[in-house]
Amino acid sequence: MAHKKIFLDYKRCIGCKACEVACEMTHGEARIKVFEFPDLFTVPFNCRHCEKAPCLNVCPTGALFRDEDGAVAFDPLKCIGCLMCAVACPFGVPKLDEENKIMDKCDLCADRRAEGLLPACVSACPTEALKYGEIDEILWEREGKVVANLKSAAEKGEGEPALLL
Amino acid sequence: MAEKLVPVVCPWCSVGCRFYAVSVNGYIRRIEFDYDHPTIANRGKLCPKGVASYQFINSPKRLKKPLKRVGEKGEGKFEEISWEEAYRIIAEKIKEIKETYGPEAIAFLGSEKITLEENYLVHKLSKAIGTNHLDFPGRYCQYSNSPARTKVFGSAAATNPFEDVAKAELIVIWGHNPAETAPVLFGQYIEKAILDNGAEMIVIDPRSTRGHKYASLHLKPYPGTDLAVALALLNVVITEELYDKEFVQERTAGFEKLKESVKDYTPEWAEKISGVPAEDIRKAARMIANKRTAFLVNEGVNQHVNGFNLALAIADLIAITGNIGKEGVWSGVFPGAQCGFCAAMSGIAPNKLPTGGLVTDEAARAELERLWGFKIPDWVGLDLTNMVREIGKKIRMMYIIGGNIAKSMPNSGWVREQLKKLDFLVVQDIFLTETAKYADIVLPAAAWFEKTGTAISAERRVQRTYKAAEAPGEAKPDWLIIVELAKELGLGEYFKYSHPDEILREINSVIPLFKGATPEYLAEHPEGCFLPCSEPGEGTKILFKKGFKTPDGKAQLQPVEWMEPPEMPDEEYPLWLTNFRLVGHWHTNTMSEESPSLKKRWPEEYVMIHPKDARELGIKTGDLVKVETRRGSILVRAEVTEHVREGVIAMPWHWQANFLTLDEIHPMTKMAELKAVAARVKKVEE
Repeated sequence: MAHKKIFLDYKRCIGCKACEVACEMTHGEARIKVFEFPDLFTVPFNCRHCEKAPCLNVCPTGALFRDEDGAVAFDPLKCIGCLMCAVACPFGVPKLDEENKIMDKCDLCADRRAEGLLPACVSACPTEALKYGEIDEILWEREGKVVANLKSAAEKGEGEPALLL
Repeated sequence: MAEKLVPVVCPWCSVGCRFYAVSVNGYIRRIEFDYDHPTIANRGKLCPKGVASYQFINSPKRLKKPLKRVGEKGEGKFEEISWEEAYRIIAEKIKEIKETYGPEAIAFLGSEKITLEENYLVHKLSKAIGTNHLDFPGRYCQYSNSPARTKVFGSAAATNPFEDVAKAELIVIWGHNPAETAPVLFGQYIEKAILDNGAEMIVIDPRSTRGHKYASLHLKPYPGTDLAVALALLNVVITEELYDKEFVQERTAGFEKLKESVKDYTPEWAEKISGVPAEDIRKAARMIANKRTAFLVNEGVNQHVNGFNLALAIADLIAITGNIGKEGVWSGVFPGAQCGFCAAMSGIAPNKLPTGGLVTDEAARAELERLWGFKIPDWVGLDLTNMVREIGKKIRMMYIIGGNIAKSMPNSGWVREQLKKLDFLVVQDIFLTETAKYADIVLPAAAWFEKTGTAISAERRVQRTYKAAEAPGEAKPDWLIIVELAKELGLGEYFKYSHPDEILREINSVIPLFKGATPEYLAEHPEGCFLPCSEPGEGTKILFKKGFKTPDGKAQLQPVEWMEPPEMPDEEYPLWLTNFRLVGHWHTNTMSEESPSLKKRWPEEYVMIHPKDARELGIKTGDLVKVETRRGSILVRAEVTEHVREGVIAMPWHWQANFLTLDEIHPMTKMAELKAVAARVKKVEE
């Protein structure tokens, strides 16, 4: 079964950082970060909860585990702060909580999911640049849109350019 | 510890977002997104300010007791006093000033940050004391666009709900940066129009704003010269006969005069003044004329002395292209604060009555006298700028509620000097603002989540917000302070309110537009109702479908002429200085500076300089520079960026930018020049 994840549609992002603030208000520290580039291009970036998560593979204590929704979640009591996950993660996601000397990372808002709510960053995102769903669902929606746009362009007549999202 | 979900309206911009404050024993623990009501404007979504919106109410800097000044004015030294003493001092002073100089020596400021009910009470109190010197800091917000639209369409209000923005074929964003000032509007409506429905977008701004990446055309006029672009747009639409002939024929008056007035303003002429290529102006005009267009204009249009002419030209353009009174278009005023309309609709202005009439209209006055039961002064009062100019002369006392004019007004250094000359100043606020430091008595008010009341959003949606937290210390809601002060003044019989619901019920009967917006209806319908709301449940979503609110029902096209900005760059001050807003701050950042999550991400001001200008001045990103105008200078860090056009420098206005701007005002609208002044920049060695 495909797991639900947060998908990033950077094209819709306007860099307002609502996701960062929402995450910070929920977890005390923002686990998602919006990167800004000089050409007004902005990318919100969070843990990908990889299908073959290197962080999970290298964790010597089993502090990192995959929960029932497929998120790479985290048990702080088992963490020894060895930083192996931080080294293994190709995106530099797990961060050291300096005070407690243990790691901190996105758990897809486990508490909110338990209540049937969306992760905080997704709930807030005013542009819907962040989407929570299954990969197939998201891709089908995209494909559907491309097809609909091509169809409407064809209906409007020749020479009318199609809108590729 | 039972958690309670209290439905509230967001306290920042005027999109009118709703969410739940999760309240525990009088404290807000967190917020929760409202996905239960899909018909609210924000559909559950929030921007960073919305998400962090309760942080400021927990700030240790909140005012908790009434204060009496002990030091010099502006010094900020106070001692705590009791409410009884504060009321007694204020009431005595009001009586004393009334006896010595007459009631016309007292001026009141309402606020775009307090509720409809509270603004209504401010209005009632000022009239009861006998003064029409009544205004609010929103004078510098929409007072170009609002009178211009009233002149052309008979009403300034937004014509359509936001959902029509998503249905538009073209979106014109003029001097507005909704991606930062109203991210929810941008994401939920503008982006949907562009990315999902294939709409196009034109941006008119000297800066590249966040939303600019979606624009198919970006015109970059020098600040204050947008008027030339607008005139040229009208010229092209008329000379190329692109206007909606049927609409012009049936629903407008004065077309010939308009045609005559713009005949010389060719795109080539506009190019010389504004620096926008003539061909781009032609392209824009053709797009506007041929598509269903939503016009989103804001401070970049409003905050100029020539902003009234510009707003008139835009209103004319909207009328002759027929982009009004139907689905899929949008135009209107867009207040910067959640309650801009609360102040405007309750008639907070030197010449208005809450009923919508004018103070000079005898019949309207008599009607209000009958409703309120006391005499209403019949003279036109002073607007905010003239109030401040007259301090020490006509004006002896000011009562300021929730406004920070010592920082927000143009040429704020001068305003501070003026405030020192007052005989008596009362400031009612939640923090000790720059303005409060000049006060004789400071009254601690309850903040937005600490009271129940009504807010009106930019799309004319009336919504109720409820009390979710207890005010700190002895702070009280603004309505209660006014009621208690009125009692101390011996006006108790006119101010018999013990709950905001009672005030709203009175508003339902006094202001015809609000007749159906009863407390009961709004409690049952969190999505609110659209003004005019004649009966409960009978709101008006689209205005002007058939006629306009003008005497003959037709749009009164106004001839417009070019008017130079009051100050232009010269040899001494060679650059244009303009200002803008950041997504994480709001107004004079009194509240956003006290929100740690926002302060951390948007920590300080800076000045944007184009690489070419920066090279000439030897400035690199991060250098400390001195930005100077004829009013003064401030030190800030430089950001060298191509997102501002050559010859223009830009600063966020939340910090000190208004120290540098110009208090020259338009003779009719009294709008000052806050967006285009001559400046120079110099690198400062550290």
